[in-house]
Amino acid sequence: MEIPTMVNPEINLSDLPDVEAVTFLPVSEKYRTMRLALWGSVQVLLLAALLSPYLLYRFGGEEDLAAFSQWWWPVAAQAVLAILWGLEEWKGFERRGYAVRDRDITYRTGWLFRSTTTVPFGMIQHSELSQGPISRMMGLNHLKIFTAGGSGNLRIAGLAEEDAQTLRSVIEGRTRR
Amino acid sequence: MNLDLAVPRRQHPLGVIILATKFSWHVAKAGWPALLGLSFGNIKWYHLLVVPAVFLVVGGFAFVYYLRFRFYVEADALIVERGIFQRERLQIPFERIQAVQLFQGPIQQLFGLTGLRVDTAGSSGNEVELVAVKLMEAEGLQQFLRSKMDGPREGESAQDVAGSSSPDTALPEADPLVSLGWADLLKVGFSQNHIRSAFIGLAVVMSLFQGVEEQVSAWIAGLPVMALAFAGLAATALILPSLVLMMFIGVATSVVSVVLKYWKLHSTLGEDSLSLQMGLLRRNVFEVPFQKIHLTEWKSNWLRRALGYETLRIQQAQAEGGRGGVRIFIPAMQAHHRSAMEERLYPDITAGEVVFDVVPARRLRWILLAFAASPALVVLSSPQGVNVLMGLLWLGLVFWTTGRRYSSLHMKVYRNAVVLERGWFWRTRTLIKLSQLQGVEWKRHALLERRRIGHIVFHTAAGAERFGYMDKGKALALRNFALNQVHSAHGRGAD
Repeated sequence: MEIPTMVNPEINLSDLPDVEAVTFLPVSEKYRTMRLALWGSVQVLLLAALLSPYLLYRFGGEEDLAAFSQWWWPVAAQAVLAILWGLEEWKGFERRGYAVRDRDITYRTGWLFRSTTTVPFGMIQHSELSQGPISRMMGLNHLKIFTAGGSGNLRIAGLAEEDAQTLRSVIEGRTRR
Repeated sequence: MNLDLAVPRRQHPLGVIILATKFSWHVAKAGWPALLGLSFGNIKWYHLLVVPAVFLVVGGFAFVYYLRFRFYVEADALIVERGIFQRERLQIPFERIQAVQLFQGPIQQLFGLTGLRVDTAGSSGNEVELVAVKLMEAEGLQQFLRSKMDGPREGESAQDVAGSSSPDTALPEADPLVSLGWADLLKVGFSQNHIRSAFIGLAVVMSLFQGVEEQVSAWIAGLPVMALAFAGLAATALILPSLVLMMFIGVATSVVSVVLKYWKLHSTLGEDSLSLQMGLLRRNVFEVPFQKIHLTEWKSNWLRRALGYETLRIQQAQAEGGRGGVRIFIPAMQAHHRSAMEERLYPDITAGEVVFDVVPARRLRWILLAFAASPALVVLSSPQGVNVLMGLLWLGLVFWTTGRRYSSLHMKVYRNAVVLERGWFWRTRTLIKLSQLQGVEWKRHALLERRRIGHIVFHTAAGAERFGYMDKGKALALRNFALNQVHSAHGRGAD
């Protein structure tokens, strides 16, 4: 569809509706718990994997593993990464949110790596609610929004049941197909 | 010619042979390890009976497939029924069709038939191929589908569909775009990127030398010690000719592949579509409506630019996950071809009103420089005469190229188009339409956020295009503008 030039004459750039001016709605607080639980369990597993050769050498008498006696190096590296990831999850959760305008939806994530994506309703091909076993236990829903080509797909994770249903019906009402 | 497309029809009977060839090819591709394994065993004459047996089975398969393959046109969709054990009925809505392509492989050329391929942007990525249709029939179907692809036009009800495709009304005026003769083909072939071709060349040279090596070592074993030194010298002398041979094979490979692909390329610009034909062994005829083009990209290296050529890449909507999507390359486009093309496809560029004119933040220059200069720092860490010289030379070179690279990055946003220019040695110019945007993203990491710098990403149906390191205020204004343009082109209020 071409833009008819007659209908669209002068554009005053400062008068355009501003995406930043909207209020972002947070996702469910339970999703923070889920993310932090994921963070914690990955850290525990990693720590176990990093320390096991040292423990085998120290207490299991495996002399071949003597090289792992300097266990603090890998553990320190892991700690640094864990802190960065933890910060991203903790501070990033406060920035995680979505905003619905009349004609588009905006999703914002991340603290270290920030991203704000806006998808016009007119371009949405279909949407999908999905749940894994853990998110089902916690009553969380992930809303996926599909656009042509797949490059602009959005995944709004960790929505409470009723929010997810509302958002979905809003999207379906405003999508043209 | 009155072609009743609404009646279910089969392909041309000779299609059985083409289908059989196609299936045999698939069988051969899937079964070659088994064949290789068998050939090591004891072969009795009756083992060879497998070949006619397989051929019979494949032939029968092709025949049944042909019998059960039908296609026709309904009010708003192309219908294809196919399948032997599992019947399927494909329904392809006209508006989902991205491109209709006619193709003639060697067998089709022999029989005077043509294949027709319909590409969709469906998430299944599954397209439909008719392999054997009479040329007239295929052209009629192509014309008909082409006229329906944009959806019903004004003054044309959705009722008067199937049947009556009258070619004289469907042919708008078309201006010739680019056509390639022998000289152009050779120029394109020589200015190809030879690195990939050279690897093929290398493989050939290596395989030639494999046998030689053994003979040479056997020969050396029989030589007196003194002669060995000369033999070593001779071996070194061989390197140069083999390099030359490799280069020659590389260039020859690119020239041959260019000739096969772009033989007698001829393209025209219609009122609202681009048509194109090319190819020697497999001749393709494309018809791409402008509306279904989601990205165009002009690429050139310094050699091409010296010849005044650019390569155009046209990209249509991709399927889910970035697979598929029709991509068409047209080489040897000259400056006037480009302006003719852009005038039709992006009329707002010709109108010339630049809404945003963006260059990246100066910080990018330092980031690029730091990355490029890092090898020099490694060398300079052990300062000796030669190292210092090398390091300084590298720094000088890098300083110069980085400046060029940085100043080549440029984005211009028009009423309905974004033009991204990148690269200095290999130059690309990418164009997308604002009205076709699928989403706009603003991203940056925490350190850049403090400097109020970030990247803007345009999500299109043909993939994402990024312009990095731009000023925050400008980027946010650009995002608002882009969204406004999408909404005013598609908004529910606008129509």
